This record gives sequence, C-alpha cells and structure tokens, in this order.
Amino acid sequence: MKPKFLPMAVMGGLLLAACGTSGTTSSSSSAQGGSVTLWAEWSSGEQNAFQGALQPFQTQTGTTVNYASKGSNIDTVLEAAVSGGAPPDVALIPDPGTLQTLAKQGSIKELTSIVGSLSSNYGSAWNTLASYNGKLYGVWFKGANKNTIWYNPAEFAAASISKPPTTWEELIQDAATLKAAGVTPFSLCTDVGWPVADFWQNIYLKTAGADKYNALSAHTVKWTDSTVTTAFTTMAQLVGTPSNLAGGLQGSLSNAYPACVDKVFPKAGAQPQAAMVFEGDFVSLEITGNSKNYTPGTTGAGGAACTTDPSKTPCYNFFDFPAPSANSANKSAIQGAGDVAVMLKDTPQSEALIKYLAGPDGAAIWAHLGGFASPNNKVPASAYPDPVGKGIAQALVGASSFVFSLDDLQGTWEKNMWQDLLNFVKDSSSSSISAIQAKMDQEATAGLGH
Amino acid sequence: MAARSLRRGHPLSRAVGVSVPAGAPPATSQVLPTIRKPAGGGKRDQLGSLLFLAPAAIWLLAITIYPVIATFRNSLYDENAASYVGLSNYKAIFSTASILVNFRNNVIWVVIFPFVVTFLGLVFAVLTERIRWSTAFKTIIFMPIVFSATASALIWRTIFDLDPHIGMVNAAVQTVSDWVNPPGLYPVNVSAGQTAAALASTGLSPGPSGSLQSSSTAAAGDTVQLGLIGISATTLQVVGAQTAIVPTPSSGAISGLVYRDFSPSNPTVRGQVFPDEVGLPGLRLTLLRGDGTSVTSTATDQHGDFRFDNVGSGSFRVQIDAKNFGSGFTGIFWLGSQSVTPTSHLSQTAQALLSVPLVDLAMIVAYLWMWAGFAMVVIGAGLTSLNRELLEAGRVDGATEGQIFRRITMPLLSPVLVVVLVTMIINVLKIFDIILNMAPGSSQGDASTLALAMFNDGFTGGIHSGLSSALAVILFLLVIPAMISNLRRIRG
Repeated sequence: MKPKFLPMAVMGGLLLAACGTSGTTSSSSSAQGGSVTLWAEWSSGEQNAFQGALQPFQTQTGTTVNYASKGSNIDTVLEAAVSGGAPPDVALIPDPGTLQTLAKQGSIKELTSIVGSLSSNYGSAWNTLASYNGKLYGVWFKGANKNTIWYNPAEFAAASISKPPTTWEELIQDAATLKAAGVTPFSLCTDVGWPVADFWQNIYLKTAGADKYNALSAHTVKWTDSTVTTAFTTMAQLVGTPSNLAGGLQGSLSNAYPACVDKVFPKAGAQPQAAMVFEGDFVSLEITGNSKNYTPGTTGAGGAACTTDPSKTPCYNFFDFPAPSANSANKSAIQGAGDVAVMLKDTPQSEALIKYLAGPDGAAIWAHLGGFASPNNKVPASAYPDPVGKGIAQALVGASSFVFSLDDLQGTWEKNMWQDLLNFVKDSSSSSISAIQAKMDQEATAGLGH
Repeated sequence: MAARSLRRGHPLSRAVGVSVPAGAPPATSQVLPTIRKPAGGGKRDQLGSLLFLAPAAIWLLAITIYPVIATFRNSLYDENAASYVGLSNYKAIFSTASILVNFRNNVIWVVIFPFVVTFLGLVFAVLTERIRWSTAFKTIIFMPIVFSATASALIWRTIFDLDPHIGMVNAAVQTVSDWVNPPGLYPVNVSAGQTAAALASTGLSPGPSGSLQSSSTAAAGDTVQLGLIGISATTLQVVGAQTAIVPTPSSGAISGLVYRDFSPSNPTVRGQVFPDEVGLPGLRLTLLRGDGTSVTSTATDQHGDFRFDNVGSGSFRVQIDAKNFGSGFTGIFWLGSQSVTPTSHLSQTAQALLSVPLVDLAMIVAYLWMWAGFAMVVIGAGLTSLNRELLEAGRVDGATEGQIFRRITMPLLSPVLVVVLVTMIINVLKIFDIILNMAPGSSQGDASTLALAMFNDGFTGGIHSGLSSALAVILFLLVIPAMISNLRRIRG
C-alpha cells in the first residue's frame, strides 16, 4: 500500500504544476468591477479564513464580494430566500440534497459550460455529487473526512506496531497485539449515539458499498437486509469484546464526545488509557486543544520519539478507516461532509467567482491556515501545514465514492437510530442484533413514511 | 420546659403569625366594597377598566393563550404541522416503547421525589428549630437553591463520575473497598471486561476463582516457564521488572520463570522467551499437589524466577494466586441506565415500563440536594406560625415530644406539607434540565421524561412538531389536577 501512495502524490504534484496556474488565469480575466453576494455557513474564525481565501479574487477582478454568514441552517435560509425572490448570487451549501432540490426547481444555474475543463479538478465521485440529471450544478470547495481513526503513535510503539492497519482484519489483529502488550486498543465514543452512528455507517459503507449505503439511506434497502446484519457483526468483532474498550462497556457508555478523545490524547498530567479513537477530522482540534505539545505525524517535537506523556513530546496521527480485505473495492469510499458552491444568479461576477472557487488558489490559502481540507486535486499537498492535514485531504481527493452521514438524512427517526445503535453497543449478541434491525426498520418506515 | 419552649421560636414572627389571619379578613371586606361600588358607576367606567386591562390581556393572549391553542392544534398535525393526522400522534405515544419510557420516568420521579423532599424538609425544619447555629445550618441547606439547575447537574455529574479519580462517590467507596480488599500488583479490571484467564499465554490454564495454574504437571528437578500477556508498561515500571532469566534445573527442586510473553522485537510471537522480554516480580505462587492441595508458597524475584526446594516425589502444579490480579474497586456506573429492579426475565415492553434505571435515582439524590432547602424554609415558616399554646397544652397534659409531633404538630402543619408536596409534584412533572445536563449521552434515552422528550422531538435534530406538541398537551393535562389543587389552597 504505502509505496504506491508516494508516486501518486508526486504525479499529482506535477500535474498541478502544469494545470494549477492555467486554471487561475482563466478565471480572473472575465469580470471587471461590480459586486457579488455570497452566502455560506462559516462564521468567526472560519469566516475570516474564507474571506482571506477570497482576497486574491477581489484584487484580481476588482469585484467586491459581499459575504454573509448564515450559520448551520443555511439550507432553510436559502430555500426561504429563493421562494421570497431574494436569493444571493452564489451560495455554499453543506447538503447535496438541497442542491438536488434547488436544481429540480430551476433555482440554480447549470455550471457545465462555466466550469468547463476545471471540472477535472475533482474526481468523478465529487462531480456526481454536484450533479442533477447528469448536469453539473455545483463545485465543491471544502470537504470533511469521517474516514479517520486516530491513534497515539507512542501506544502503537509500545506494542511494536510499526505501521497502522490497512484492512479491518489487520485492525483486529493489531487490537490483539496491543492487548498482549497491556495497551487497551480502543476508546469508543458513544455520547447520545451519533459517534456510534458515524462508526457503524463507515462499516456499512466499507462492507456494502456506496450504492447500498445510499439505498439504505433512502430506505429502499430494508434495515433487516443481510448487508445490515453483516455491518453489525463486523462492528461487533471490535466493539463486542469489552476488553477491547477503555473502561469496558461501562467506561464506553460514560464517554461523552470529547472525553473519549481525551482517553487517547490526554491533557498534561494524565496517561493515555487507550491507543485508538474513531471520529471525523475535527478530532484533531480536540487533541491540539488538550495540549499544544501534540505534534501531527509519527515524530515528536524536535524529532524526538513520541511519548505517552503529554507533557513531553506526544504525537497524534490517523489512518484511513479500513475495509475488510474481501471488500477492498470499497476501501476508498468515504463518509464525510462538504460545502458545494452553487450559482443562483447568472452575472459575469458570479460566473467568475464560481470559476475561482473551482480552482485551487482560494482553497490553498485556507488550507495553509489549517482546519481545512479540499476535495480539489489541484490544491498542492504543500499547501497543508502538516502531514495529518495533508493525509485527510489526500483521502478526500482520492475518494472512489463519497457519501454524507446517513443519520442526518433520516429526519425524525434519527434519534431513535442513535438509541438503537447504543443498544447494540450494550448488547451485540446476534439475537440482540436481529431485534435491533427489526426495530430500526419499523422506525425507518414510520419516520420516512415508506 | 415551658421556659425553653418560650425562648424557642421568634417572638416577632409569632406575633406576625397571629396578627395576619386575625386582621386580614376585616381589612379586605372593608376595602373591597368601596372599590366595587364607585359613585355613579356605569359603562364608561367599565370601558375604562377594560382599557387598563387591555395591555395585560393582549399580552396574556399572545404569549399564553395563543401558544396553548396552537400546541393543541399542532398535536393533531404531522411532523411539519402541515397536514391533519387526527389522533395518530397520541396513538404513537402510547404504543411506542421508547416513548412510554418517558412516562415511566415521570412516574418514578413523582412517586419518589415529592414525598422524600417533603419529609427531608420537615426533618430539617424541625431539627434546625431546635439547635444552636440554626441560621448557619439553614443557610447551608438552602444554598443549593440559588445555583442554576444546570450548574447543580454538572456538579453532581462529576460527583457520580465512574472514574474514582474524578467521582467523589466512587472515590469514597474505593477508599473503603480497597482497605478491605486491596488490589494486587497486576490488577485485572473485571468490570471493564478483563479476566485473569485472558492473561494466560504460555503454559497456563485458568484455575479456580480467578487464579492461573500451570497446564502441565512438574516433578522435582523440572523447570517451568509461565508466560503472561496484557501486562502494561506502566505496571512493569511500578513492579521494577528486569530481564527474564531462563531457569536452570536443580535437583530436588521445581524451579521456574514467570515472564511477560510480549517481545517488542517479535510482537506477535508467543511461547518463547526472547532476550528483550522481562520477568514478572512479586507474584505470589502456590505449589499444588495433583489433588489440588497446597504444599507451599513463594514469590517471584526481580527476574521473574522462583524455586520450590525439596519438593519430594510426586507431580505438582504451580498456581499463580488470584490475589495477584485483584483489581480493587474500579467504580460503580451510577449514571448508567442499568435497572435496579430485576427485569431481565420480562418482555421488552415490560422491561421498558418496569425497570428503574440507576441514573434516575442518582438524579433524584441531586435534585433532593437542590430542593430540600426550599421545602425546609416553607415548612419552617409554617412551623413558626403554629399556635404554641396547643403544644404547651399537650405538654401540660403529659404528652411525649413524639406524641406532640405526631398528634399536634403534623396535623397543624398538614396544609403547608400538602402545598409543598403538590408544588414539588408539579415541579418534577416538568423535570427537564437536570436530566439533559446530568445523564451521560448513553443514558439520556433511558432517563428521559415527557418534558425532555417534548424538547428533543420539537427542537433538536429531526424535528417532529406533532409528536412534540402531543407530548406537551399530555404534560399539560397531567399538571392540571395538581395546579387546581394548589390554586384552591391559595384561594381558601
């Protein structure tokens, strides 16, 4: 696996050197002056970073971007503005479902001719997600990656695990090795159930594939389906053995979201209680918030070896959520989230802005500030300040398919789904699994109306 | 006796307590008629008073009456309040186990909390009346009521934390428990799913009651190598483990080694003593005869080596005693949803309805801490306005203090007690914030009440305004009897 990655990255870099610049120049020449209104969800720090990323566009074209932050309910706000007849020129929306709705209504413009060759900046998974009826309606600007298992390299070193697992079987094997070395393998985030849902959805995606995933999300595949059972039994291989989990079952059930991360990446004065924790890319914020000492990657500050003691030279790193070796076709299928730019009014300025957002320059600026990953393959790897940020973005760029979190698309029964998955953690026996599946299918039918 | 009881209780408050009921009725009956019958009263004055009432009435309509009506209406509509669905939201509430859990929790709260808090308030009120420094005691007991419920919930969430290093309750239990039953050098956390048997790697099998025994028998002159896994680096530091030395046979003795069967250079290979493996010192060992009777005991040295000298003839087994693996106390999950009543033999719906999750009781304790002071102050006020002459008369007639409390104080106090009780019933029917903030996420679903379910369905995640409104209506109907009872009392 590993040696394969390197040439790919190098080739990507070369390609980018060739295409990146041409993409920029073509976007800057068309519009002069004027202004464009732009809505997105980002506020405070993220807003500053985003506006910084728009600065070159404003200087090159002389166009003023009037940015407004609409918060996390931007979808609702945007749909209301559309029906009220006062939409912005361009908007970045965090939900491909809304893109589909707006495209169906004819409220957003087709971008195929405007984006043109810039669409090759994105893998087909991304362009498909931004299309309606086979026509391109959006460009992805920011992506979030939930395909990440975070590990404490010092704990892996204590068990002499030199490289992180690449298949689900290796993960189970490494868990056994960690236990033999007296290291608890996993800290399971439970909270009100959403982290368990993210975990389960990753396993379903990796075992059943993206098509089944989307079908299950729409409830055209039943929750009693055998693929669902497989996902549960696969997850039980890790979660169903309490000694794999920090604090066992009770310790896991008392884990609120950031507390489970703290068990692997503790604050100064404590020792890690487990080697791995699963959640999305936002975990890195929690780790570096616990101590500024945590260095991304597998070497500590100043080239020292990673330590378990957070007050010395601790490190943090992640590996891609592995697929069982029998399902290797799904290993690059990724669950996550993202923001897609859509055009609501066709003006020269908004066309120029869409082209700019489809190019690598704006994303590279934000990437450099950290806490950002772009699915755009022209954003140079060197734009990311550390190996972790780079790895997260590489996974997004190389995604064979990309799906959004299934639970968020379940409407009113989402909370039931979380509770059911918590009940699975409490009892992962096969009889419990089949009872939970039957209950979930009833709830999905009631919640989605079919 | 009489002199003491005179000193007790404030003379001032007693005077007030007597004068108010005596003076109040005449005052109102004199004032009211003069208001009701203004000279030459007519329609213009009625209009004037209506004008004065209007702002308050509009306000009341806008923020109380309208929302109540809208909630009733929404409870008959679907999740988006768009199409009429009749009573199906109510049907769903009473037929879904996960929603019925909310009713069960409301019942648990209503059955336990109001009575216990009234009882505690009464005890505190009576006791603080009789002691020195009563103001200090009252202040301490009353203080929690000034904290926000959220802050109190977070305080108690920490107090009940699973980890004895964080949670005060578990720390206290741990202190006692570890004193009675001290942890071993190589602790195995059984409540976290670990077992001593899982440590056995090479030459060992599980023995009785959590011990490990050598799988094969040995005789004098033999050597035994026993490998354990799952020993953490921290433990090795604590016990001061040093490089394992493979034992040499010595005549007449069984010599052996207990080592950590994990080699950093060969992390997946077991059953072999590598140069980078360490011996496990301080392990208590017992030599057993074939029939299981013990012969003698010893402990391993810094290199993990041990020797039983002059064992004589016969075959023996080496046992690693269970006490080496004692984990000590590792915490009770007070905030977990495990039931304190045995319900595992029941059907799922019956389980949901009849189990009493431990977290409910922990939250009730926290809520008692918050409200006992309020009950104490209200009951204490009732106590000070009691007619002391009746108590004195009782004492003169030779009643004991216990009889006086039961036969005189309690009946006289009962109106106050009922007000406290009913107020607390209303209070816990609406219980919400303490659950949201004190129960950990995994217990939220099992600890949720009607008010919390109403909030979750109506305002978080996938919103179902119909279900949420129906829950609000049911809650409203449940509170009404208690409300009417209290209103009557206030009027009477």
